[in-house]
Amino acid sequence: MEPSGSTTRGWRLPRHELALLAAIVLVFVGTGWLDPNHTYFANWAESRDIILRNTSLLGIIALGAAVVIIAGGIDLSAGSMVAFSATTCALLLAVFSDVDDRRLVTVGTAGVVIAVVGAMLSGLLVGTLHTWLITSIRLPPFVATLATLVGLRSFARAMCLFVTRERWGTESQQINVNTPFFAWLKENNVWISTGTFLVLAILTWLILSRTVLGRHLYALGGNEQAARLSGIRTENVKWFAYCFGSLTAALAGIFLMADSSVAQPGNLARGYELNAIAAAVVGGCSLQGGVGTVSGTVLGALFLRVVIDAVAKLIKASADVYEGMIVGIIVALAVTLTQFGQLAKAGGSLFPGLRGLAAIPTIATFAGLLAMMGAANVEPLQGRTGLLGLAVGGIVLVLLSLYRWTESRRES
Amino acid sequence: MTPIIAFRGVGKRFPGVVALADVSFDLAPGECHAICGENGAGKSTLMKLLSGVITSHEGEILVRGEPARFRGTRDAEAAGIAIIHQELNLVEQLSAAANVFLGRERRTPLGLIDDATMEREAAALLADLECPIDPQVGAGSLRVGDQQLLEIAKALSLKSDVLIMDEPTSALTEAEVARLDRVIARLRDRGVTILYISHKMDEVFRLADRITILRDGRHVKTVNRSDTTPQQVTGWMVGREIADHQFHGTRSRGECLLSIRGLTLPWPGHPRGYRLKDVSLDLHAGEVLGVAGLMGAGRTELLETIFGAAEPTWTGELRIAGRPVRFTHPAEACRAGVAMVTEDRKRLGLFPDLDVAANISVCSLGSALQGGLLSRGREEALVAGPIRDTGVKTPGPHAAVTGLSGGNQQKCIIGRWLLTRPRILLLDDPTRGIDVGAKAELYQLIDRLCRDGMAVILTSSELPELLTLSDRIVVLAEGRLTAAFDRSEATEQKIMEAATGG
Repeated sequence: MEPSGSTTRGWRLPRHELALLAAIVLVFVGTGWLDPNHTYFANWAESRDIILRNTSLLGIIALGAAVVIIAGGIDLSAGSMVAFSATTCALLLAVFSDVDDRRLVTVGTAGVVIAVVGAMLSGLLVGTLHTWLITSIRLPPFVATLATLVGLRSFARAMCLFVTRERWGTESQQINVNTPFFAWLKENNVWISTGTFLVLAILTWLILSRTVLGRHLYALGGNEQAARLSGIRTENVKWFAYCFGSLTAALAGIFLMADSSVAQPGNLARGYELNAIAAAVVGGCSLQGGVGTVSGTVLGALFLRVVIDAVAKLIKASADVYEGMIVGIIVALAVTLTQFGQLAKAGGSLFPGLRGLAAIPTIATFAGLLAMMGAANVEPLQGRTGLLGLAVGGIVLVLLSLYRWTESRRES
Repeated sequence: MTPIIAFRGVGKRFPGVVALADVSFDLAPGECHAICGENGAGKSTLMKLLSGVITSHEGEILVRGEPARFRGTRDAEAAGIAIIHQELNLVEQLSAAANVFLGRERRTPLGLIDDATMEREAAALLADLECPIDPQVGAGSLRVGDQQLLEIAKALSLKSDVLIMDEPTSALTEAEVARLDRVIARLRDRGVTILYISHKMDEVFRLADRITILRDGRHVKTVNRSDTTPQQVTGWMVGREIADHQFHGTRSRGECLLSIRGLTLPWPGHPRGYRLKDVSLDLHAGEVLGVAGLMGAGRTELLETIFGAAEPTWTGELRIAGRPVRFTHPAEACRAGVAMVTEDRKRLGLFPDLDVAANISVCSLGSALQGGLLSRGREEALVAGPIRDTGVKTPGPHAAVTGLSGGNQQKCIIGRWLLTRPRILLLDDPTRGIDVGAKAELYQLIDRLCRDGMAVILTSSELPELLTLSDRIVVLAEGRLTAAFDRSEATEQKIMEAATGG
């Protein structure tokens, strides 16, 4: 006797997607209004391009992450896969350029095609490796892709050293890419990557909701044993899922390399895998598998980027420091909000027992510190940051304590 | 005498569903009280309320005359109420003793875990329950029957005097059931009140002092066992009389579709060395072959071997319509016209996140394609047939499958396989955990399929079911085929003797 859930297919926008859409609009308009320069309204075209470009890069990887998660797995290796694919692409370009050309300007069309195809093939390679580790060696997906997360980046760096030494006689940790094609890609970066993202999203949606393979992905993620006993070749479905996950990362790698005109495997796309997984989860994919939509994932990626961008607008100095914190809070909030209804219905409390009591000063401390650091960016408040932090922490402490007090009164 | 537990107008609503409404009855101290009802009647919800799993409800629960509000299972435990769930709650990696004292570990004066004391006390508790297992052994390696007694030992160590048992015999052998009966009798002598939830009338009438019947979340009545009969109780449960029907007899047997000769399935690392040994049988079109046997006799393994669900390590000969086969994946069996409805619906059959239509169409999506893509219209048309034929009661093809009752879920899974147009249908305990009304419908469905020429192998843990449906019955005992009966000569007595190797 469980309440009937919503179906998981189609472009119909269920409540979750509508809520995300509303949140995106809210954050966007709110930021445009609060931002002292009103950048969103005053400089709409540039803001739009930045958000579109970043969302596309994140979204492309998130679509791959979503497919793997829907199939009941997890792919932690995406960030390293991006670096691996970019390095592969750059190294192939180096091989096809003139020997003394260290900026890779002289690569011909054939070389570019081979480099791009090679980068995508590297994704296929890694996806297949994952599938083999998971289905034949029977490693848990978490372990298999954790191994490649650590291993692939190192492998890409070693590859970089090896090829640069063989080709130019001096080892290098990075390769500059000024090939005309990639320069053109960088020039038209926004529209090409956005277009690619949209096409990929439509393709993924088609696969997930309108093909047998897609249905099998949901079935596999929902109940692997039942899927096998229904005659589904679950290993092959996994093969597709992990290859799709790696291929999307490989694609993002090519864009990212073009964007920065350099392939630098040491730091390229570090931590991207977690942002992609976060986008999928915020978009409604369940890490237990079997649940998730393309529309949700696309909106999840957009929401994540809009919020990160909003913070960059509001906090001028080194906003990237705050990125991880924001992603963390959003993921926790998004999942909490979807579960909040059930929590309230079951009569559960937010701060039960000693654990709950201990959580209140913890949250207050973080809130106070955050307010203090945030205040340092707002001119009229500078010099009084300590006081402000204390005040915010104190207010949060009092409010949460009050809440817990009413909670315990209601129960007894 | 104050009732130890009293329900006063207890109700519980879930969104869109009234699970319980205005239930009132009492439990007397020291009685064994059976709760009967079809699936969805509200038995589980009521027990979850009493054991603190569900914390909000309408009405009142009085414990020893005092109104109780449980905020969790710990509150219920503190009030002396323990529940033995159908799916056991043991930490399989921990030892038996550690499970008994989980959360209340005994400690040495230094504050370290005192394994010796816990093992000694656990051993004493278990010996008292006729369960002479080593308390150091891992809980996961125990048989289901012993695991259950381990849970009871845990409840007793909590000094519980109300024990809720949710269908405790569903996975037990006959010997284990007899032992459980003795344990229940002994607990009752000590004054423990037992709430016994079961479908099985023979158990209820063997154990219970009083019987409470629930239907559609409402209290039908509470009666003394001595004042009623199993037929009456079943009637109250379903609200109608169940005609005891015999289906076999007039079916016409066709060609031999499946023939097995000398099938042996090894079991590496087990003292017996095999799961199945030298099994031979024939299955014809238009007949139901019943496979009887206790838990662990190899019924499921036999069906899985035929279906290619396990690694094909078996030896012997398997022929389908005269052609030797050796399936390495269910997909191959499916293509060859073999279908299997698995034993554990939730774990092995259902896709909880997919809707009813997708659950039915999953094996035959090829027929729902239009221009290479899945068509919603075609899929609906495809599943309309099996929904009608198997009588699935659903609000619509796109309803959530988890919203259906167990019987309707099972019909979805049978419908799933009927779409693959099988010639051979393997049914592994298809009515387990299904209410009486849905059972009768499934019997009629199986009979109809068989008359249409399908060959059916049916296993069941309930002998009356096999006797009702089968044309022939073979008996497995410890992996060997020990007897084969025509319907006319089979009796429960004879089958039981062959199954227990007597």
